[in-house]
Amino acid sequence: MSQQRPVLELENVSVAYDSDKGPVQAVNRVNLTLYPEEIVGLVGESGSGKSTLAYAIMRLLKGSAYLAEGTIRVMGQNVYNLSKKELRQFRWSQMAMVFQSAMSALNPVMTVEEQIIDTLRTHRRDMSLSQARKRAEELLNLVSIDLKHLRSFPHQLSGGMRQRVVIAIAIALDPAFVIMDEPTTALDVVVQRSILDQIQEIQRYVHFAILFISHDFSLVAELASRVAIMYAGRLVEVTNSGRLQLLENHHPYTEGLLRAIPKLTADEVTIEGIPGYPPDLVDLPTGCAFHPRCPRVFADCMTDRPELYQIEDGLVECHLFKGAKEVHYV
Amino acid sequence: MSESPGLVAVSDLYVRFPIRSKGKKAYITPVDHVSFAIERGEVLSLVGESGSGKTTIGKALMRILEPTSGTITVAQRDVTHIRGNALVEYRRDVQMIFQDPFGSLNPVRTVEQHVMFPLRKHRNLKDAALQEALESLLERVGLTPVAEIRVKNPHELSGGQRQRVAIARALAVNPKFLVADEPISMLDVSIRAGILRLMNDLKADYNLSYLYITHDLASARYFGDRIMVMYGGQIMETAKSNELVRKPAHPYTRLLLAATPGNPVRQALPETSNAAPNLLEGRKGCPFADRCPFVTELCRETAPQLLSVDAAHSVACHHPIV
Repeated sequence: MSQQRPVLELENVSVAYDSDKGPVQAVNRVNLTLYPEEIVGLVGESGSGKSTLAYAIMRLLKGSAYLAEGTIRVMGQNVYNLSKKELRQFRWSQMAMVFQSAMSALNPVMTVEEQIIDTLRTHRRDMSLSQARKRAEELLNLVSIDLKHLRSFPHQLSGGMRQRVVIAIAIALDPAFVIMDEPTTALDVVVQRSILDQIQEIQRYVHFAILFISHDFSLVAELASRVAIMYAGRLVEVTNSGRLQLLENHHPYTEGLLRAIPKLTADEVTIEGIPGYPPDLVDLPTGCAFHPRCPRVFADCMTDRPELYQIEDGLVECHLFKGAKEVHYV
Repeated sequence: MSESPGLVAVSDLYVRFPIRSKGKKAYITPVDHVSFAIERGEVLSLVGESGSGKTTIGKALMRILEPTSGTITVAQRDVTHIRGNALVEYRRDVQMIFQDPFGSLNPVRTVEQHVMFPLRKHRNLKDAALQEALESLLERVGLTPVAEIRVKNPHELSGGQRQRVAIARALAVNPKFLVADEPISMLDVSIRAGILRLMNDLKADYNLSYLYITHDLASARYFGDRIMVMYGGQIMETAKSNELVRKPAHPYTRLLLAATPGNPVRQALPETSNAAPNLLEGRKGCPFADRCPFVTELCRETAPQLLSVDAAHSVACHHPIV
């Protein structure tokens, strides 16, 4: 896999924003690489920085948020070195994003066809109207929406259909890489399942890589080949999803999350929450940010930030693994 | 189940709302002739997708809305159409925990004000007794250190803490029965288990019954003694939690199970329409007929009755999978 040219490379990416109480680190030195056609899950609680990271990759950070350090490369291209004009071409043709709320991602006063054509012609200036129309039809077929809905407005579609339209728009220009930020969170389970099945099916013949952001562990474990777990702005673990079946050899936060979800069919039905609450980014705990909630905390955790260790084919940032091979990014 | 009619007995409950359809007055029926019972100390999980009528049932039980017909009996008392003082009194027995702990608390009131209000109003506590009841309640729901948290406003609390305030407020009246409408769906994953466990512990401590409304089968099974699956305003299937998850008899239950993430038995979903059910009054047949892979002419004509498969397992389907 490492032979291939990566689709996305994140090197020591930090995102900060200014607040009344000084700069806040929402994303803290994140390293992650995505390879072609790979689905990687990014899991974290609200405020862990997962959506902020997505916006940073898309160069969509707004307000006082800014890329504080690090490099983001998509298809080898540093996203932050592009001019405004180049960025417009680059977005959607190389990288695209599916947002959580389909209703607000779509324009309520434009038909489905108009929105798809608008996207196509904004990012690819040389495309003719008839080419764009033809492509819009192809795309709706791809996401299994009846062509009669080309003339529909978003409010005439069900939630699931709207999210399919948003996905169609995201892949309109054959991007190498799509970020999906909780694309099914607002949907019923049956609709969610059919959309996930559809994403996998489309991906089989359109070949793009996906960074799939979610708070739902079991869903991500099924969909993704690798899962990155984020806590308080840091990637605390990256693991292949198969290993999420096991409760051992993980970051204590990951283990806590795995124990916190009731299993649908398991015989034992006890669950355990993680004590405490996610930390305030303005006032992060010293050392390892997870230490006040960690059941296996010891002295070092309170004072020193843990190194990143290689555990099997994954990475864990935790003092418990001291002695394992350390991984250092430049 | 015991001989008694149960703590909560719902019989032939029917709720309709007026709508305008093509300029004419019509009605939709989010709760369409539903009957069930909840025993003392029992948790009934009510599972269904949005629009299935599960929240409307919760609101009818709370008497936030008045049913069109049918009866609701709680502790042998008919509460279907009570008003005024009788309703205020009823709320001493029945309380609700809402989905959104950001919306269900008053932003300008402190934690102690939220909890003290029902203690004063419904239990007439004052002075030292009031303080004592407040402190023990906050402690019981895990809002510690009490002295620090009692004076906070909702915006200073996390989602999980807010939901604990809502639970303390509900418990303040010493209720017999709680309606919990998606109490964990807006909370972070690491927090959910704590709230579920708290509700579970309280069940034992206070001998509480719950109607636990959720769209998540895994938590429905974890918390509920029984699960009732609803679709389009009607009960599709009801059984003991483990039985329902292991031996689903209704095609809709099967579909739900197959769609739930984390199910080791992953089967491809049959290709059916994802259309929302028709809730219009006077519709014919089974509400699930349009999406059912096993649909027959009979299903489109006649709605199936909820019939027992065995002692604690009932299903409303002309072609159940048994």
